[in-house]
Amino acid sequence: MSRVGALLRKELLEGVLSIRSAALYLTSVAVLSVFAVTLVSNREMSLLDNAQAVYLMSCIVLAMGLLVAVIRGGDSFAGERERQTLELLLVAPVRGREIALAKLGGTLLAWVVTFVLAIPYVWAVGSTGQNLGPALVYLFVSGALLTLIFGGVTLIVSTRTRSLMAALSVGLTLFLLFGSPVVLGPSLRQSSVGRIIDWVNPFAHGLNMLDSVVVDSQGISFQLAHLGVLAGYAIVIMLWVSLTTRRVRL
Amino acid sequence: MNAIEVKGLAKSFDGKPVLKGISMTVARGDVYGFLGPNGAGKTTTLRILLGILARDGGDVAVLGEDPSESGYRLRQQVNVLPESHGFYAWMRADDYLQFFAGLYGRRLAAPECRTALAQVGLDPADRRPIRTFSRGMKQRLGVARSFLNNPQLLFLDEPTNGLDPKGRRDVHDLLLALNREQGVTIVISTHILDDVERLCNRIAILDHGRITYEGLLGEVTETTSKRYRFRLDAAYTFPPAWGFPAIPLLERSGNWLTCSIEEMTPAQAIRTLVDGGLPIVEVEPATGGLEGVYLSHIEGGVQ
Repeated sequence: MSRVGALLRKELLEGVLSIRSAALYLTSVAVLSVFAVTLVSNREMSLLDNAQAVYLMSCIVLAMGLLVAVIRGGDSFAGERERQTLELLLVAPVRGREIALAKLGGTLLAWVVTFVLAIPYVWAVGSTGQNLGPALVYLFVSGALLTLIFGGVTLIVSTRTRSLMAALSVGLTLFLLFGSPVVLGPSLRQSSVGRIIDWVNPFAHGLNMLDSVVVDSQGISFQLAHLGVLAGYAIVIMLWVSLTTRRVRL
Repeated sequence: MNAIEVKGLAKSFDGKPVLKGISMTVARGDVYGFLGPNGAGKTTTLRILLGILARDGGDVAVLGEDPSESGYRLRQQVNVLPESHGFYAWMRADDYLQFFAGLYGRRLAAPECRTALAQVGLDPADRRPIRTFSRGMKQRLGVARSFLNNPQLLFLDEPTNGLDPKGRRDVHDLLLALNREQGVTIVISTHILDDVERLCNRIAILDHGRITYEGLLGEVTETTSKRYRFRLDAAYTFPPAWGFPAIPLLERSGNWLTCSIEEMTPAQAIRTLVDGGLPIVEVEPATGGLEGVYLSHIEGGVQ
């Protein structure tokens, strides 16, 4: 097995076997359960159009996935540093960017697990309506790209901070910074400032793409711009990760 | 070519100098004891030698390469057992060794893995996760990991920390075998002087970021082999003047005396002291030869 293979295998196993990962997934399941039950049982929310319910559920799944990505990204180097396991990785003949690659692989796996856990919930609120299939496909793709973007940014922060708490604080602040504009009222989002925020915010692109697919039933040609922006962000962040992790110090 | 050559190494943290221009040389095949009190700069030095910490000044060559510049090739030939390092708590011991073997480009087959674990006194059949291991078991696992890549140069930071006497002896034997049979150069950073006396052929003492002593261990022990410690009856009142000029008193600590007996045999010295009225209840060779040198080369070591 190659060095990167050994690192990747460790990250994937850690993503499944460690207590921290189990706690993250359990929290995700609890949040999704509460939200799904609310969607189908609350009188006002149960009056929502089926597509709207799927869209809302997908937004929550995406937000949970990003939260997991931010936590895993923040934990990547800062966590290893704090748990005193980074030193042994750095003295081994592996490059910092190989470690980062494996860490991002683990973060992507966390998104896949979160997505798989979320499928029954999305199905439960949208099985009787349309666009469930496309919703799941676009949810998976946008979640994967956003995981790379947000997980990558927090990984970069993590290479620079000595404390896991500091890395997580920065990551969660970024999450709130990018997450909060999407809950602005419709009139504010239609304003020129709102449009600019929507255009530069990758999280908004992910949600707008889901809105377009699930609620408006629009095809892939309508999603290319969103996908392009997300892919562009992901490529830039990956290049940044590669530069930052060229030389990782203890 | 020496295994390690350091000249004028300097390092500061937040403007506070930790290493103040240290120089040292470790020859190939040496077991080099790197001594010093906590905070002297031992771990910082090791980290710079490993290339995981940037230095502020000085020249460093490890196996002929600058560790801050070199990559795969040097790291493939070096390994380390840090003083306090974490473990992946969810892994089992064999997973842990196989993971690190993979990082060194080795595939560790199950029988090899069992041998590596048994070599350090761990049960190869133990399938529990590392989180359930005692400190001593973790230390043994760390030792097994540090041998995985058959290093030419091995850095050990407090290698016998947390080990029971048998564990310490096992690790000593392993390290000596590694050094004698495979010619591995070993640098041991420690303040457990017994480890140094048993393992090292050369020592350096680091205090407040400066090397205050460097030399062969044999030179230290030779000069102190004729020192003995005498315990006197607790009720004895020590006289103000020492009345035995042929047996110089080197140190008095409580009711223990350390004397040099270069001019007579131990039996003659005991007889002289007893005849002179000293109520001796116990005698032992002063194995603190290294301890004496160590204490005399660190600030505040000699009271």
